[in-house]
Parts: sequence; structure tokens; C-alpha cells
Amino acid sequence: MRFDLDMPAWKWPFYVARHPFEGFEDLRWKKAYSMKVSMVIVFCFFIITVCQQVMTGFLFNNSYVKVFNIVPLLVQTIVLFFTWVIGNWSLCTLFDGEGSMKNICCVSAYALVPYLITQVVVIIASNVLLKSEGAFIVFFQYLGILWSVVLMISAMKTVHQYTIPKTLIAMIFTVAAMVVILFLLVLLMSLFQQVYVFGFSIYTELMYRFSI
Amino acid sequence: MPKMKKIACAAISAIMAFSVLSTAAFADQPYEGYNYDWWGDPVPSQTGYVVDRVVTGIDLGTGTRYNTDEQLKEIGDVEKTVELGSLADPADMYIDRETQYLYIVDSGNNRILITDVNFEKPVVIMDYFYNPETKGYETLNGPRGIFVRHVDDAETEAESTMIYIADYDNERVLGVYSDGTVFQQFTKPSSEFYEDDVTFQPNKVVVDVSGNVYVNIKSITTGAVMFAPDGSFSNYFGANRVEQTAQAIANKFWKTILDREAAANFIQAVPMEFSNFDIDDEGFIYTVTESKKTTTDVFKKMNPAGENILINLGFSDYTYGDMATYYYKGTTYGSQINDVDVDENGVIRLLDYGNGRIFEYTDECDLLFIYGGKGNQKGLFTSVSAIEAYNSVVYVLDSRKCSITTFKRTEFGDIVHEAMSLYSLGRYEEAREPWMEVLSRDSNYWFAYIGLGNAELSQGNYETAMDYFYRNSRAGYNRAFKQYRMQFVRDNFNIFMIVILVVIVLLIVLSKLLKMRKKKKAGGK
Repeated sequence: MRFDLDMPAWKWPFYVARHPFEGFEDLRWKKAYSMKVSMVIVFCFFIITVCQQVMTGFLFNNSYVKVFNIVPLLVQTIVLFFTWVIGNWSLCTLFDGEGSMKNICCVSAYALVPYLITQVVVIIASNVLLKSEGAFIVFFQYLGILWSVVLMISAMKTVHQYTIPKTLIAMIFTVAAMVVILFLLVLLMSLFQQVYVFGFSIYTELMYRFSI
Repeated sequence: MPKMKKIACAAISAIMAFSVLSTAAFADQPYEGYNYDWWGDPVPSQTGYVVDRVVTGIDLGTGTRYNTDEQLKEIGDVEKTVELGSLADPADMYIDRETQYLYIVDSGNNRILITDVNFEKPVVIMDYFYNPETKGYETLNGPRGIFVRHVDDAETEAESTMIYIADYDNERVLGVYSDGTVFQQFTKPSSEFYEDDVTFQPNKVVVDVSGNVYVNIKSITTGAVMFAPDGSFSNYFGANRVEQTAQAIANKFWKTILDREAAANFIQAVPMEFSNFDIDDEGFIYTVTESKKTTTDVFKKMNPAGENILINLGFSDYTYGDMATYYYKGTTYGSQINDVDVDENGVIRLLDYGNGRIFEYTDECDLLFIYGGKGNQKGLFTSVSAIEAYNSVVYVLDSRKCSITTFKRTEFGDIVHEAMSLYSLGRYEEAREPWMEVLSRDSNYWFAYIGLGNAELSQGNYETAMDYFYRNSRAGYNRAFKQYRMQFVRDNFNIFMIVILVVIVLLIVLSKLLKMRKKKKAGGK
């Protein structure tokens, strides 16, 4: 055997990032899925997105942080991640995917690691670079995104035991499923709000009646 | 305790009385001064200009025709001196800085009125122009624009004033001397580059130092029609770019794919025509585009080659007028810049037809003041048509109120302009004091921070400069940070070198250790 695969759970994401193709096979073979590690990664995803908004250097910071609001960032990271997991699971169980919810959650989180690392590099670099040196920052951003996308494709392919074309199609449809899920969520929320308003108006009406 | 209460009561009532008084003191201004912060949000600001006077045609009193008595008899018993009455749909103004004359284009009455910048000199009326070629008299029909140029004649050593009038409905630009003699007429060019079915209705006119005449025509989108001094058509000048809408991009995409015949069926993407222009003493032509739909080339400063030289260094895009457009009951409200004036100090003033406001910028397009507004009060406008400025007084022409409103600078405006003129000369250190004064009056005034940042930068206090530039100017911050970083590396060079050396040594030692370990393992087997 080439590598000693009996490593602690926290080393797996880095191992996978360094071996984009056989890494997930090894992970699957060793059944080294760790929910703890993946939850930490998702939390880091959120924290790093917040840092990116607040701590990116002035020269490269285009975000509107005059009024800092954490809710959109929560939606952009944690909610988005779990929508991806749920959407992918519900789609791929229908199409002979072998991955369970836990497996999908773990590998998706592991695939985010390169993106997070490059984001940290970008945040630090944006504080020491000049505007004319911004090409490095753009390079690192694209590098991180590209690497994570490659990892994500490899992860989906391995966890469901798909062919590459089928993986790509499944991923595109997952995005569509995510849109549907988010749409239904918004619809549900607005409906519940109307029910609440209805209940509340009945309550106030009753209170007026009985107070006289 | 009751004593305390009494004192508190007295204090509060005193404060309230004072605040009522102070609001009363500001009540003569019908508009609120505001400015934009780094985020593009409006913030309240001190006003730089207050209304001084409103002058109507009736206020101007009587006017005298400049024609001689014989000429008037020849035309047919036209009175020499007449009551001016009210102006009718005045379209343009021009201030001749050399003679301090103010020219008003009284469109509806088909005449030009000449007075001075203080409205004190008797008004001269120009409506009959002697044409030496036909020995007849020319009249105007709905004139829209005017430009005045002084030429020193080398032969006769006489200085002559040449007045160019955009005679809209007569489809010509009339060039007359100040005594009313026509010297040139610019009509529709018979060139193959000027299509026959395009009308020639001149809207505005400017003339450059060498006598080239630029005519703005509303139906032409390829720029101003440019005439050589001898009256021949020479070129189009300074067209706007096409706005990159999604449709324009999609059309471009399809055109590359489809063959020519199919592509010809697409709607041609046409740039917005510009609606007005001005020329400064250095020969740069400034154009504005009056459309609330487009954001491309709303304002341009062009060199004689017709290139927009207001390009920034990639830090942010220039925006002109109000930042936000809003939609209410089926109408979009937003800035529609319909006139521009560049004064003797290079200060740019844009006139906003949509909101009746004046936006004042430095020569590098940094926003200084916003004043004016829509309404019927003194200092508000219903339909602005032209702006001119001379000697810190701003003249705004309203074509529906038929009046000229003059604005004078406040003390705050004076301080800002004093600081600004020092700043634009590069004397940042001297500008520090007035900028400090500006900040003590209005701490939201963002341009003062840039001025102070530059002062600190020129002194070599890079860190303070960075503080001033932070969220005020990316370009300034970049400059200060560059110096700061260089200084930082220079000051800590020893530490950097030591750290690098230690790391190298550690790496060497580590690799040796690893090798030894491997050897041991191999030997152990």
C-alpha cells in the first residue's frame, strides 16, 4: 500500500484535497466519513464568509458593510450547503445513487476545503497587496473555486458510483432541485406568515369584543 | 430635587426655543443640502449656494435694438426701444467672460437679449440681422443655442465679437458680428456622409479657438456636426458609446453567428445622442446626455480628437447626478442632465432637468455640492434649460418660469472652493487649514478627507493619510498604502532577514534529521 490510510478523521479532508481522484475512493473504502469534521468545515465556511465581508482589505472590499447583516450570510453559506445536500440526496436516491445523506454531507463538506483555504489566503493578501497587484488575488480566487469544483465532481461521482456524464447531469439537476426547495421554503414561510396574521387578527378582534 | 427639575425644565425649554429660532433662520432655503457618502447613500450636508435673486423679462425693463435708425426704417418702422415683456420659452444662455455680457436666447420671441452679469446695463435686443450678401434682413425662428467668440484681426488690429446662433426652425447656424452683420451661415451639408433624409435642426452650438463650429443636432446619434472655419462640413465629433444592455450584447452574439442578411434584420444598436455641450478655455469639449434610461457617457470631457479623457484608473466608475432612480405610479424619476457649464476655475456644473438640481463637481469629477430642486418657490425650478456660472455666481435659466435664478455662494461654499482651488494646484499643505474648517462645519463632507489625506501624504505621514483615505478614496488609499508598505519593509528589513534565515536553517536541519531517521529505519531492517 502506498499510503498509510489509518489517519485521524481531521486529516481526511486535506488528504482528499491533495488526491482529487483516488482520495474519495480511499475515503469510501475506509468508510472514514466523519460528521463532526464536516460540520466543523461548514461552520468554517460561514465564519470565513463573514471574515471575507468584514476583513478583506479596503482596496479589494466591494461589499456593503455599512450596515452589517448576518442573515444573508447565513443563507449564503449554511442554508445553501444543506439545501445542496438535501437536493442532491433526494435526486440521487431516485437515480440509483449509492450515497446516503450522511455520506453526501461529508464529501460535499470535504470538497469545500480548498476553496476555504484559498479564501483565507485571499483575505490576508488583500490586506498587504496594492490594487495593481490584484491579479494574484483573482488568480487565487479562481484557483480555489476550480479546485473545489473538481473535488465536488469527483466526490459526487464516487459517493454515488456514477459515470462522469451522469455525475455532471445529476449536479445540474441538483441545482434545479435547490431552486425548487428554496422556492417552496419561501412559499411556506409566506403562507405561515399569513396564517399567523389571520390568527392574530382574530385574537385582537376577540380581545376588543370582550374588553367592552 | 424640585430645584433640579426646574433647572432641567428651563434648559429644555431654552433648547427648544433656540431650535425653533434656528430652523426659522434656515427657512428661507427651499431645498436641503446633501451629498453622497462612500456607499452611495445620501447624507445631509451644508448647502454651498443660496438663492440670490430671480430675474424675469419684466424685471429687465426696456430694451434697445442695436440696429441703426436707417436700418430700422429700411426694415419697416420697427421701434428702437421697446418694453421687453416676459421671456417666452428661453432656451439658452451664454456668459462672455471677457466683456461680462450675458446673452439670453429668448426662443419664443425669436430674439437674443444681451445684458451684463449683474443685470444693470441696458438690455440690447438682437432680432434683425443685416445680410450683406442679399442686402436683406435675416430673422430668427425658434433659436435654441448661442455661442460667442472673440477674434483679433491681425490686419486691421481690431477685435471683433462673433456670435453664433443655432437657429432651430430655420435649419441653420447664423454667424453674426456684434453689430448685427451676418458673416456666415452654416446650413445642411451636402456631403455623402450626411444623409439626405436627416434634418438639420441645430440645437446647440460651440466654437473652438481655431474657429471650428460644432453643431449639436438631436436627430443625429453619431456626434456633433463639425464645420471647418470656412463653412464646409468636415466631420462628426465625439459620438457616445452604445449602452451595453443585455439586448445589445445578445444582438452582438447573434450577429457573429448568423449570416449578413439575417443579421441585417436585427434592430441596430444606436447610442444616445448627447443633448448639450460646452467648451473650456483649453479647448476640451464637455457633453451631457439627457436620458434617464442610459448610464453610458452621461457626461464626457473630450479632447480635440473626440476621445473621452475622463477615464479613471479602475478604482470605481464615475457617476453623475443622483445615484438612485425611483419608480412611482408608472413614471421613472431620475437625473436627466441637460446642460453643463465649466467655469474659469474648471469647476463643472451639471444641470438636472429631471429633478431641477444643480450638481457641482471639481475638475476631476468629485462631487462638491447639490442644490436646487423642483417646485414653484424661489430657488426651485419647473423646467430648467441652461446653466452658466461667472465669478462664483451661478445663473440658471428656467424655460417655463421664464426667469433667471442666480445663486450666490455661502460662507461654507467659499471655504470649500478656497480649499479646492489650493488642492487642485497641488498645494495640499496650504489647503489643510480650510479643509479642517470645512470638517468642523460638516464632518460628513467626504472631499475634505481626501484633501487632508493628500496633505498628510505629501508630508510623509502615510499612516494618517491612510486613515483619511479609508472609505473615502481608493486611489488615494492605494498611493498611501504603497508608501507605507515600502517604509514598513525598509524599517523592519533586519527582522525579515533574520526570520528568513532562521526558517532556511530550520528547513536544512529538519531535512537532515529526516534523512538520518530513514537511514536508521533502513539499517534497523
